[in-house]
Amino acid sequence: MARSRLETVGSVFSRTRDLIRAGVLNEKPLWFDIYNAFPPLREPVFRRPRLRYGKAKAAIQDILYPEDRIRAKFYSAYGSGQKAFDLFNPNFKSTCQQFVEKYIELQKLGETDEEKLFVETGKALLAAGVILRRVGEARTQKEGSHVSWESEPTGVKPQTVLEKNQPLQEVPQDQHLETSEEQPKGLSPP
Amino acid sequence: MLPGKAAGCTGLATDISDKILSEPLKHSDFFNVKELFSVRSLFDARVHLGHKAGCRHRFMEPYIFGSRLGQDIIDLEQTAAHLQLALNFTAHVAYRKGIILFVSRNRQFSHLIETTARNCGEYAHTRYFKGGLLTNAPLLLGPMVCLPDLIIFLHTLNNVFEPHVAVRDAAKMHIPTVGIVDTNCNPCLITYPIPGNDDSPPSIHLFCRLFQTTINRAKQKRRQMEALYRLQGPEGLGAGVQGSAASPSLGA
Repeated sequence: MARSRLETVGSVFSRTRDLIRAGVLNEKPLWFDIYNAFPPLREPVFRRPRLRYGKAKAAIQDILYPEDRIRAKFYSAYGSGQKAFDLFNPNFKSTCQQFVEKYIELQKLGETDEEKLFVETGKALLAAGVILRRVGEARTQKEGSHVSWESEPTGVKPQTVLEKNQPLQEVPQDQHLETSEEQPKGLSPP
Repeated sequence: MLPGKAAGCTGLATDISDKILSEPLKHSDFFNVKELFSVRSLFDARVHLGHKAGCRHRFMEPYIFGSRLGQDIIDLEQTAAHLQLALNFTAHVAYRKGIILFVSRNRQFSHLIETTARNCGEYAHTRYFKGGLLTNAPLLLGPMVCLPDLIIFLHTLNNVFEPHVAVRDAAKMHIPTVGIVDTNCNPCLITYPIPGNDDSPPSIHLFCRLFQTTINRAKQKRRQMEALYRLQGPEGLGAGVQGSAASPSLGA
């Protein structure tokens, strides 16, 4: 069967059609009539992928919803939700999603002040039984616990052991403080 | 490969075979492939999820709906249109007893694709694709070898994220291709691309099921049509037209 192995020239269909017209190809291939009857939306012609230079950008828009504003505020105030996301369940509602739905409900009732709405949604969720822990509170709690932990070992253990233990204890304490500070910072941008 | 030309004995045989072959082309959706899927079923199978924006291929931009927090989302309306065309083409090729080859180089789904091909009665190649398999077939496979009439790509890229050699070779050998193109693939040389997710298991399971159903349906339709015309025989090619007009409405 005659073929023209030039995949960069035209589409498969155009090359076959021209070979038949020229009389080089005697038998119509099986798919020819089907392609004729139902052509694709774009003819499969070869194109060289060229890079974009300078400030040219693709014309693809970001997908954003009005609820994203509420989500951003939620995550900056409360950090990552306490309840883990269960992706096996298709109808799962996370803490953030419940918050957003409550916020929109209260907004429809007529409230306009954003901060008021935020506070009221928080109260409504706490009343419903959902745990909401603010990011600032978590930080102070952890620092307080570390302060109390520091004083105990130095008082109890003998001096010889202290000299070895102190550098070891200092390092994990510093790491804990650093991680507790980093976590809220890492979580606040939505 | 047309049976009419092979028979050649009676003009009647060629008439019947021409009728069998030309009848499906007159209907826009002879095999009713539209009922096999919906935009909702594509969404539930996570077909709309693409790769991150940095992996995007320039030629996939028309098929992308938008990007959500950096992840590309494929436009399922376009996917549905492309999928309908691709399934229709596959069905017609299977109806005409064409050889279909499933190609993929993704090891996660190679067993699934091989079982799908076995269930359709068609062929699959999910292993290392040797250089001249299509272009130098007489040497590699034997003297009188028929090349496939349609190649279906479930993954257009190979294991190093480059376009599969078979895409270019099929274009060289005048073989039409149907392929699932993700946001990092090049859809240029594929005859009937289907923009969609090729990485999630539910998505690939859905596509395998769709291809299997269409091919089986098309083959069954072919058996029905042949039986119908054999029964009608020499009396009613006129009656046969009316009969065949009734049969597509029965579905499969």
